[in-house]
Amino acid sequence: MTVPNRGAARVRELAEVSRPGFAVGFLAGSVAGLMALIVGQPIGWAMVSALALGLPLGLLGAVYSVLIALGKVRLGGFAPACLFWLIGFPLSRLSQEVLTRLVLTGELGGPPDVLGFLAYQGLISAGFAFGFLWMHERLAPRWWHRMSGQNPTALRVYDRYASHARVMWEAREARKRRREASKAR
Amino acid sequence: METSKTPAAGPKAVAGEERVWRAGRLDPMPIRTLPEPPPSVHLLGPTVFLVALGVGMGESYMWPRLVLVFGPEIRWLFLIGVTLQAVVMLEMARYAMATGESIFTGAARVFKPIMWFFFVTAILVYIWPGHLSAGAAAFEQITGIPWVVTACVALVLVGILFSLARVIYNLLENVLALLIGLLVVGTAVIASMVGSWGDLTTTITGMFNIGYFPSGAMNAEWFPIVVGAIAFAGPSGMQQMWYTLHLRDSGAGMGSHIPKLRGLRHAGEEEEMPNRGFMFDTENTEEMRKWKGWRRWVTFDALLLFWGVTMLVTISFTVLAQSAARANPDVKTLIEGGDRSAALAAMSDAFAAAGGSVLGTAFFGFIALIGLNATLGLFDSFSRGQADMTYFFVKGAKRFKMSHLYAFFLWAVIIFGILILNFGPADGPEAVLDILAFLSTFAMGAYCVVLLLVNNKMLPKPIRPKWWTNGIIGFGAVFYLGMLFFSLFAFGVVVD
Repeated sequence: MTVPNRGAARVRELAEVSRPGFAVGFLAGSVAGLMALIVGQPIGWAMVSALALGLPLGLLGAVYSVLIALGKVRLGGFAPACLFWLIGFPLSRLSQEVLTRLVLTGELGGPPDVLGFLAYQGLISAGFAFGFLWMHERLAPRWWHRMSGQNPTALRVYDRYASHARVMWEAREARKRRREASKAR
Repeated sequence: METSKTPAAGPKAVAGEERVWRAGRLDPMPIRTLPEPPPSVHLLGPTVFLVALGVGMGESYMWPRLVLVFGPEIRWLFLIGVTLQAVVMLEMARYAMATGESIFTGAARVFKPIMWFFFVTAILVYIWPGHLSAGAAAFEQITGIPWVVTACVALVLVGILFSLARVIYNLLENVLALLIGLLVVGTAVIASMVGSWGDLTTTITGMFNIGYFPSGAMNAEWFPIVVGAIAFAGPSGMQQMWYTLHLRDSGAGMGSHIPKLRGLRHAGEEEEMPNRGFMFDTENTEEMRKWKGWRRWVTFDALLLFWGVTMLVTISFTVLAQSAARANPDVKTLIEGGDRSAALAAMSDAFAAAGGSVLGTAFFGFIALIGLNATLGLFDSFSRGQADMTYFFVKGAKRFKMSHLYAFFLWAVIIFGILILNFGPADGPEAVLDILAFLSTFAMGAYCVVLLLVNNKMLPKPIRPKWWTNGIIGFGAVFYLGMLFFSLFAFGVVVD
């Protein structure tokens, strides 16, 4: 009985760790849908626009957070994020095209020139990766810090950020001491 | 150590006497230790301010407009403009990180009237609240709330926000970083929905068409617009100078020896501001190792964050404009005609037609977001710059704390802005618009000259710029001033 329990706990742990990536991906993908709600579009319409792109980007964002937490991806590195979204972003956009068409028209199909479509999305993905990384680096360490009390994976990844912050903190303390010393002089 | 101007003192001062670095006519800078640079380069620095200020109407409107009129080949001029600004940014950082002083104090060390020129120019150019109009007008399109109301409420909110903050820099860096992140991912998502492979490749390849200059741009109507667009590629006017204040407040380099600026409510906690900056021992190899670390950090900031984000946003907006023009030929006519709000509305309509009304709204949302970023950055920077110059160079100003002076300039510009929005011309009186445009571009040429003087005369030899960096900044001075005066004398018009 303990084995499935441990498995479930592990899944819960990773799910918690993955939230910042999910939040950034979902927010970015559902921006258009959220705007629709503001201007009073039908809720159904807004939901389709928000979910069709927000969900895949959110899920992939969550995977990215987990990869960082498990130490598979370098903290804050641009190249790995770029590579990750080079594949992830075009696939998310393709799934959005297919899903939206399916929900709104009831037909199954994708964009006319799939290869050209994917190539274009691949190029755009660099911009998305940049913005994603930018926001992720702002949100994730704070979230992991909050979770670090009850989540060992969050604690480990936060520790990596914290050891960096400690160096910065020590530098700041040293600065304070120097300033006080120069005042006393 | 000693400068070429002032003999005496130097590092080998008599035992018991403090070692100082003499630069120009102001107080000498005491020698202190340079802090360790951040161990990892991926940490974001104060460049977010420059990006927030720089990614404005130039990127989202002026350049897409030029691409529609003259074709994507004209973008090589944008490449030159932004690259030049990246080098300017690195050179601004050189002085600020080496001394903890703003570039304004550096200018005063060379010759005080130069600093007063920037003090007056900042007031003349930046007190007009016109920059709020594009963002607030876009917000009106989404919500129906009249733009003047939004602009006035935004002004008061900005004032309250900056007055209540404990440490203004930290608050603003976090807010701007999130907003810019949202802008970058959001424009990427929208461009991915409405753009095409062709639009993107022509936009990118157009950047390398070096030397292309259409004959249609060599007239009184278009030349000033092209010059204005180059000058406004990335941060324009005095924005780069304010960046030195943000660098100092972020604790970069010797800025770590200067106390942080606090919001009005926490002004009492502000430590005493020293009369001048500090210098580190450039003859010490350990200190020079740390200096190189700081230079690496700021170079990363300049190249990847500043250059990269500015490029990404303009490429996205150019792709958007091209696809809008294809969807609706009226867009091209309106954009060419120069009516900004009509052109933006037509672009929004084109996206609405292509991807549903949601997309049209999202487009306006991003224009509003750009406006908000620029407003937050501009009000803070203006007040910071004026407070800095007043504190150090106006007699009797040291009775107040820097935070009080900051709050004074902030609320003055806010109250003036509200009055003008309701009762006057938002961009400034019609009669002086040309003078303001002239001053803004002239300031850019002038700061290139100031940079050359400050970095080559006021800093110790080992940390002075290399010859090729001087060459690029010198080119910048000739470029901005040359284009400005050519436009003035050949066509009788200043930049637009």
